[in-house]
Amino acid sequence: MSTTAKNLVNQPYKYGFVTQIESDTIPPGLSEDVVRLIWAKKNEPEFMLDFRLKAYRKWQAMTEPNWAAVKYPPIDYQKIICYSAPKQKKAKLNSLEEVDPTLLETFEKLGIPLSEQKRLSNVAVDAVFDSVSIATTFREKLAKEGVIFCSISEAVHEYPELVQKYLGSVVPTGDNFYAALNSAVFSDGSFVYIPKGVHCPMELSTYFRINNGESGQFERTLIIAEEGSYVSYLEGCTAPMFDTNQLHAAVVELVALDNAEIKYSTVQNWYAGDEKGKGGIYNFVTKRGLCQGVNSKISWTQVETGSAITWKYPSCVLIGDNSVGEFYSVALTNNAQQADTGTKMIHIGKNTRSTIISKGISAGRSENSYRGLVKIGPNAEGARNYSQCDSMLIGDNARANTFPYIQVQNPNGKVEHEASTSKIGEDQLFYLAQRGISAEDAVSMMISGFCKDVFSQLPMEFAVEADRLLSLKLEGSVG
Amino acid sequence: MVSETFIKPSAADKRVAKLQELLAQVSGSRGDSRIAPTVAESQSRARAILSELAIPSTKDEEWRFTDLSSLLDINFQLAGPAAVDVFALADSELDETANSRLVFVNGIYVPELSSVAGLPAGVQVGNLSAGNFPEIASYLAQQQGGQEVFTALNTAGLADAAVVWVPANTIIETPIHLVFLTAAGATPVWSQPRALVVAQRGSACTIIEEYAAARGTWCAQEASNCYLTNAVTEIWLAENAQVKHDRIQREATNAFHISKTAVSQAKDSRYTCTAVTSGAKLSRHNLEIFQAGEGTETVLNGLAGISNSQVADAHTAVILNHPHGIVRQLHKCIADGNAHAVFNGKIFVAKAAQLTDASQLNRNLLLSRKAKVDTKPQLEIIADNVKCSHGATVSQLEPQEMFYLQSRGLDPATSRNLLIDGFAGEILAQLSIPALGAKLSRCIACRTDN
Repeated sequence: MSTTAKNLVNQPYKYGFVTQIESDTIPPGLSEDVVRLIWAKKNEPEFMLDFRLKAYRKWQAMTEPNWAAVKYPPIDYQKIICYSAPKQKKAKLNSLEEVDPTLLETFEKLGIPLSEQKRLSNVAVDAVFDSVSIATTFREKLAKEGVIFCSISEAVHEYPELVQKYLGSVVPTGDNFYAALNSAVFSDGSFVYIPKGVHCPMELSTYFRINNGESGQFERTLIIAEEGSYVSYLEGCTAPMFDTNQLHAAVVELVALDNAEIKYSTVQNWYAGDEKGKGGIYNFVTKRGLCQGVNSKISWTQVETGSAITWKYPSCVLIGDNSVGEFYSVALTNNAQQADTGTKMIHIGKNTRSTIISKGISAGRSENSYRGLVKIGPNAEGARNYSQCDSMLIGDNARANTFPYIQVQNPNGKVEHEASTSKIGEDQLFYLAQRGISAEDAVSMMISGFCKDVFSQLPMEFAVEADRLLSLKLEGSVG
Repeated sequence: MVSETFIKPSAADKRVAKLQELLAQVSGSRGDSRIAPTVAESQSRARAILSELAIPSTKDEEWRFTDLSSLLDINFQLAGPAAVDVFALADSELDETANSRLVFVNGIYVPELSSVAGLPAGVQVGNLSAGNFPEIASYLAQQQGGQEVFTALNTAGLADAAVVWVPANTIIETPIHLVFLTAAGATPVWSQPRALVVAQRGSACTIIEEYAAARGTWCAQEASNCYLTNAVTEIWLAENAQVKHDRIQREATNAFHISKTAVSQAKDSRYTCTAVTSGAKLSRHNLEIFQAGEGTETVLNGLAGISNSQVADAHTAVILNHPHGIVRQLHKCIADGNAHAVFNGKIFVAKAAQLTDASQLNRNLLLSRKAKVDTKPQLEIIADNVKCSHGATVSQLEPQEMFYLQSRGLDPATSRNLLIDGFAGEILAQLSIPALGAKLSRCIACRTDN
């Protein structure tokens, strides 16, 4: 590895600062009392307490999953702060001007300006800081179209019937260990409701920020797309650098009714720990979309570059006939990062189709696994799946694994799976070098070509961002 | 009325009890003085391991898709010697191997049916107790992966084995046929065949390993009594050795067949396995290849042709630890009726295994609505300068292909058979004796005929 290359690899994590802000934090630990306390703090209706307690009891009876190809010391759940919120002067904010300027500055520093003048013109943002949502932009404009975009704690108060109907309908409280934990103590997240026939006029986006060193972030996102509607939703995340590990156990639920389409994109850049693997976020996330209606479509696009450990399988349950599930993923691991990620495509309805494109890049001493399930149920006549998962290894200490599970119970189903593992070819680098392109540029070019199938699925601004992020993270690890 | 409190044993207890019961049966069978002390050591180790284990359940990742619960309720007794006349072999008889054949019935050597007169001098082929194999101690029961439950069970009860010993630089043209039959009696029996193949430096041989029911018809459709076969085969290839291994499993359709083939490949050796599965109610084949030197070549062909409620499970693992290895794997499954095909193919490429070139393909053909397949081609790679690919497909017969054949005047049944035959033919053509391929092809055709 050349010296310039090394410098580039050790690029500092520029989102690693801590915001000094007074916060309202509950003592660490997890018990039924804590669950009640969170419920009380958020002043939620009765049904939420039932929901949380049910989940908590289920969680107690569960054991932490250990099948993923990741290693980490046992997590002491009694040391995690389940709720931490920046102190607000007023209980209810009327406008953005009342938000603590320190918070606004924090988000500005992260490149997410919340104030009116500086906003991205066509993206509505919900900003979540530790356990609470700080602000949601463009609410009025969206309300004109009938689109509801707010934090989930507001939704619980303002649209309890929708929340009650859909919360936990895709990811049940007892779905898995982390989902149960999230259901018990989740604090905030985004809520989106697109009414019948509405094509959401702008991109919706949520930005998650963990600030507190001991806290866990348990956010919950619920998106409901009514008949014939369309929405594109983006998620971004960063955290400060700490020597300790923070737990992030989120749940995302998507529901697409007849002819609806949801496009969900994630650019995940949590703090990944230092080069020795110290610190970083444990990102244990359950994401699932339900294609409930006929001709509905859910498309997941993810660019995973951060986190010490990623455990994440955005899935599609294809119930409606002719429904479509898509999964496009780029997972990059460097240094001591570990990622066990992939998708599940459960074909239940007739003529359901799914596509999986997964690109894994592992550098340093990292471990990158693709784990995917394609299941064609007995009634899924004419179901089709195409999967492709390619891995690229950079350096001879990195690992790439693929664990594709394919279960077919219908002879009309057609499943194709392809995978390959390779490194960047010497001859390809030589060719580019011969054309006067530096080794760094050549590698970055090769990688962006490798990931092109996925990046082309991202909204424009984010595709550029993702491409840049990836080259920053990787530059120099080849040489 | 007297009420009885009956405590149902938990499923886990039952699995432990079953294994201990099987182990107890084989514990009495040891004591053959010709078994070398190192083997005796492996045996006591195997017994120690088994005391901590149980029959696996579907909760074990390795057995996730293959449920052995039905095995638990059958009271298997260790099979004893059976009187088998020469006619019993008729189905398995091949002209090519009339004088290079070892026959075991219920895991016990039957000299009357065996003959190795056709083999060149210096080659030692025989059963363990009869032959004189000086260096056997460093091979028998020394293969990696011996702690797996069924392998350990086989080792614990090891009394005899089929041994093929090919000296250095000897090339044997005639295939060596190892026939393992089970003569099922009125009660369910089980047996533990064992085979050891050692190919010394620069030698070459062809092994045909066959499992079947004695007195079963070729097609194995005819019901015989339920039995269990727990087989283990160890194959050692020294530098530059070549072994071509055809493995035919056509047990009776209500039999259980669990087996392990463990292969160790030294530098520049070449191993080819063609495994064809058509029998057994439930079968599992673990094929493990350990690379012990650079520049090895491994070719794995697999075919399962199953129907009714058969379950055929193939788990293969190739562990590469040295550079320049080549792996070519093609596994095909044809499932009709309620059959369930399982394939799990692992390829581990360790850091030292640079310049590995591995490809793996699993293709599945589902012929009926109720047939199902679970497949998991799995790659674990650490080395960066490698070329690895894997693929899996699941589909039915293409309507266009059926239409094309019918437009040429073939009736639907013939068209279907032709397509299935073509699908299976790619693997069957790899067998070393064409007549065997033709027989199996007929067997699969009959199996998938509706």
